[in-house]
Amino acid sequence: MGSDNTDLKDFKLRPMKCECNYLSKSDGSAILSQGQTVALVSVNGPLDIKMTNQSIEKATLEVLFSSKGGKPAIGDRYKEHVIRQTCETAILGSLYPRTGITVTIQEMEDYGGFLACCINCTCLALLNAGLSMRHTFAAVACAIDELGDIQLDPAPAQLAAARATMTFVFDSRNKTLVCGFTEGSFSEDAHSEALERCRSASQLVFDFYKDIVSKYSYVIG
Amino acid sequence: MAEIYKLIHPVKYFNDYLSRKIRPDGRAFHEQRNIKLNVNSIKAADASAVVKCGNTTVVCGIKLELATPKAEEPDVGFLVTNVELPPLCSSKYRPGPPTDSAQVTSTLVADIIANSKCIDLKDLSIVHDKLAWVLYCDMVCIDNDGSLVDACIMTLMASLKTLTLPKVTYDPETEEISVDTSVRTKLNVNGLPVATSFALYKHEQSNIVLADPSSYEEEMCGGIGANLITCYNNGILCGSQKFGGCNLSIECEEEALKIAKERAQAVEEVVDVCIKNYELEINK
Repeated sequence: MGSDNTDLKDFKLRPMKCECNYLSKSDGSAILSQGQTVALVSVNGPLDIKMTNQSIEKATLEVLFSSKGGKPAIGDRYKEHVIRQTCETAILGSLYPRTGITVTIQEMEDYGGFLACCINCTCLALLNAGLSMRHTFAAVACAIDELGDIQLDPAPAQLAAARATMTFVFDSRNKTLVCGFTEGSFSEDAHSEALERCRSASQLVFDFYKDIVSKYSYVIG
Repeated sequence: MAEIYKLIHPVKYFNDYLSRKIRPDGRAFHEQRNIKLNVNSIKAADASAVVKCGNTTVVCGIKLELATPKAEEPDVGFLVTNVELPPLCSSKYRPGPPTDSAQVTSTLVADIIANSKCIDLKDLSIVHDKLAWVLYCDMVCIDNDGSLVDACIMTLMASLKTLTLPKVTYDPETEEISVDTSVRTKLNVNGLPVATSFALYKHEQSNIVLADPSSYEEEMCGGIGANLITCYNNGILCGSQKFGGCNLSIECEEEALKIAKERAQAVEEVVDVCIKNYELEINK
């Protein structure tokens, strides 16, 4: 245990703050800040949806992303795609056939690592909504600078100097990769090293989830 | 019989094949489909290419236009990529505005091209703050049978490699532009990014990596499109995206990267040979 702690000391993420049940009318909601990056997520479901969208095998997942300006862009569809695919693997959709689950993400502030913040906030909102899940998931962003140094959870200044940025999402059980996306070019070694670092750092996020959830639930916390 | 079995027990049908170490279309797990490439097939476009990977067919056409560069970046031209998925290519799409998957594919393709830095946008500048080239690269999918991003990148790169820019003279006093189409210079392309798609499937506690998946395999593996897309340019990774499918273990990733690297070389050869043949033909 002692050695584990010293290992984790090297993996510093920006401070995380979270409030669950931030919205009164949603089934589950959370607002999460990682450093100055802030995202707000609301989850509704399982709810009734149109017959055409229903699936008899599993719940239909709908993810809506709205940026700060409110104008839809092609990049937003990509973010929705990433979050939908992540949630799809995590939620036990087969328990809620013929229903829909809506996840709405509102961008509040983007100071680096925004998509990672959105994904973590989505996980907290899903936990808050009480949906059955296979596992929880945690996203960690990192940046690789010109010298090849890896910086976890980068701030905007570090992002500007980076030659590549990567975001990885891990599951809570085996810490295998659920989702991952990269920007910029890099070597295979840099990629695998960044992956390992983020994998270790994801434990911090999972611990944080536990802290938050145990505040309102003794059973799952 | 097999068709009925496939309808009644879709998952078991798929699993039965995989347990025999073969895929429903007769390929081995790591086997890729044949690639057919043809350049300059559309005469109305400034550069074009058609690629066929198995059944997946994508056409790319590049149109040149002149524009004023952005004030904040006066020395930079524009490369605009767009992927279209008309209802023609698959029963999954309906007529109307671009679907989510078309937008996601467009973003993926644009990201790969930007991240690989294969085109220096400064090469597209003609006169500082006054004139720059705009490359409209439109990709239309004719038949979508999986691994769409691979095909898109391949046709886009083949088109870019054959693209020539006409000579433009600009008179700063009269602001008159004259284009001389008889004098053309080749566009500088740095390397050749090659994307490789994979589908990831969990079969009896072991993870299986399926290279170059068909749309049926992508569907069975639970992804909208491929689960893992890796991209190499000059032996350097320039993008690795993973969505959905079974969770990726370290061994699977190494396996996938190895296949992607081999494929990058194979595709590079295909493109080079195709362009060489084309150049021989026009110089005849």
